[in-house]
Amino acid sequence: MNVVRAVLIKELKDGLRDRRALLSAFLFPLLAPVFIYGLMTLVIKQNTESEDLVLPVIGQGYAPALMRQFEEAGFTLEAFDGSPETAVRDKTVELVVQVPEDYQETMANFEPTQVLVIHDGSRNDTRTIVRKVRNLISNYNNELAALRLIARGVSPRILQGVRAKSSDVASDEQRAANLLNFIPIYVLMAAFVCGLGLAIDNTAGERERRSLEPLLINPVTRTALIFGKWLAASALAGAGMIITLGLCLGAMLALPIDELGLNFTLTAGQVLMLLVAILPVPMFASSLQLLLGLFAKSFKDAQSYVGILVFIPVVPTLVMQFLPVASSLWMYFVPIFGQSLMIKEILGAETIPLLAYPAAFITTFATSLLVCWITGRLLSQERVIQS
Amino acid sequence: MIEVSGLKKTFGDVVAIEDVSFKAADARVTGLLGHNGAGKSTSLRVLYGLIQPETGYAKIDGIDVSQDRITAQSKLGVLPDGHGLYSRLTAREHLQYFGRLHGLADDRIEARSAELIRMLDMQGIADRRTEGFSQGERMKVCLARALIHDPRHVVLDEPTNGLDVMTTRKVRELIAELKTLGLCVLFSSHLMYEVAKLCDDIVIIAAGRVVAIGSPEEIRAAAGVDNLEDAFVLLSEQAARA
Repeated sequence: MNVVRAVLIKELKDGLRDRRALLSAFLFPLLAPVFIYGLMTLVIKQNTESEDLVLPVIGQGYAPALMRQFEEAGFTLEAFDGSPETAVRDKTVELVVQVPEDYQETMANFEPTQVLVIHDGSRNDTRTIVRKVRNLISNYNNELAALRLIARGVSPRILQGVRAKSSDVASDEQRAANLLNFIPIYVLMAAFVCGLGLAIDNTAGERERRSLEPLLINPVTRTALIFGKWLAASALAGAGMIITLGLCLGAMLALPIDELGLNFTLTAGQVLMLLVAILPVPMFASSLQLLLGLFAKSFKDAQSYVGILVFIPVVPTLVMQFLPVASSLWMYFVPIFGQSLMIKEILGAETIPLLAYPAAFITTFATSLLVCWITGRLLSQERVIQS
Repeated sequence: MIEVSGLKKTFGDVVAIEDVSFKAADARVTGLLGHNGAGKSTSLRVLYGLIQPETGYAKIDGIDVSQDRITAQSKLGVLPDGHGLYSRLTAREHLQYFGRLHGLADDRIEARSAELIRMLDMQGIADRRTEGFSQGERMKVCLARALIHDPRHVVLDEPTNGLDVMTTRKVRELIAELKTLGLCVLFSSHLMYEVAKLCDDIVIIAAGRVVAIGSPEEIRAAAGVDNLEDAFVLLSEQAARA
């Protein structure tokens, strides 16, 4: 126990003095709110109406009634000159509405007429406005058809057979959480990023600077050395993860999510549940990093191996995206998968099976211990000192 | 008392040591002499518990290193082949870390550190971080951390390699001092004159085998030459040819 403590103290002291590595490690959590703020404001902007919607139109004069519909919906009409295709392609305008010259003529003859909406289907940012314009035209068409039927003494209701009416079962919190799917990813990634430098320096670095041999000459068990190193890396990773969680939650509370018609609240109980849920993650991350760090042939080798680990937290979200199944108990037993699920569910104020906490904690923690034990065995092998 | 018997070790197809046996007595300085690649470091690594021999044994005060590594290591002070330091720790913090790994209490470590810092003339560098230390300064830190637990047996792998004259002298003085304290000192070198000057007993290793053991006089007699360096070259070449 004294050995573990001695190693832990030394590694933390050594690690905390490495200002440059520390800065790069903790840049990740510090960037979290910036990242979230940027992404969210973008989403909000795209999902809500902007104040002045400008609509470039060719042939405004041909369809005054339709134009009034646009104006009533908040559009400012603007006469457009030149090639609409080129302008849309060059992104100088978001879209162009073209009214044909024979609009009034075809209308008078009760023939179908076409109003052209020229847009770029590959642009995500104009999708909302294009949909809006198309809906307006379609509504105008319905109104027109209804008027025509009334003029012939037919009730417009005769046209209405089946209509879809949607009922969303997701709660507002759930939708907000769904929208913020990346919080579990970001928080769990922090556990893999913040202790990374220390874990590599601890293992591959120790061999590279030829201090591993003097260390192994001491009358201590190799497992004790690994546990000390593991706890040091875990402490740093844990600190980084908790800072990230705090900053992410803070950023979400500060954001105008209600503008999306969504609701995000946070209670002290939820924060506590989150902390309990994610506690073993830094230990898991650090144990894997130590193993790979020791396994690698060189410092550079270790960096690339350990770098790949950082993407582990993305996997659960990706899987759930492509295989959207309801969460069942076994998922909580899978390290990282369980925690990813729990963060999302706690933020979405869903009820989690009580067994999920011990399940996720025990399997993740036990896996970490097992990996440490394997790492200790690896450290006992002769090849570990022969670089 | 250090005793090594019938050691053999191969790495893949390469035979590092074939048959190494020798003894190093208390209150004497024993020199392990051999060319680069003769098997000195491998023999010492078996001795301080880093690698397992295929045959034979290494014993410290009768304790077999392979059987009870931890007890054997606690009796040894080792300057290994690797001289790495932690650049962000001070010299004194190195001593503290290694003292704690040896299970010493902090006040004991402090007292012993002060003693070693005085012994090795490290007052000026004791509380500086080791980043930027000269070769000689680094060697002093390595020697001090090897001796922090006041071991009765000291094993030094090429302690004067790459050092300037002043530090080399200091190291030689230290070896002599350890001997007068009654310690069992075993060190390896490829420098004949150094071994001749410091050692009571000499073990010559060539091509993974011990080719001669004895006092400087006995070695000269065995080779049939007057000069110890000639004896070393002659015995090494004979072994290489065999």
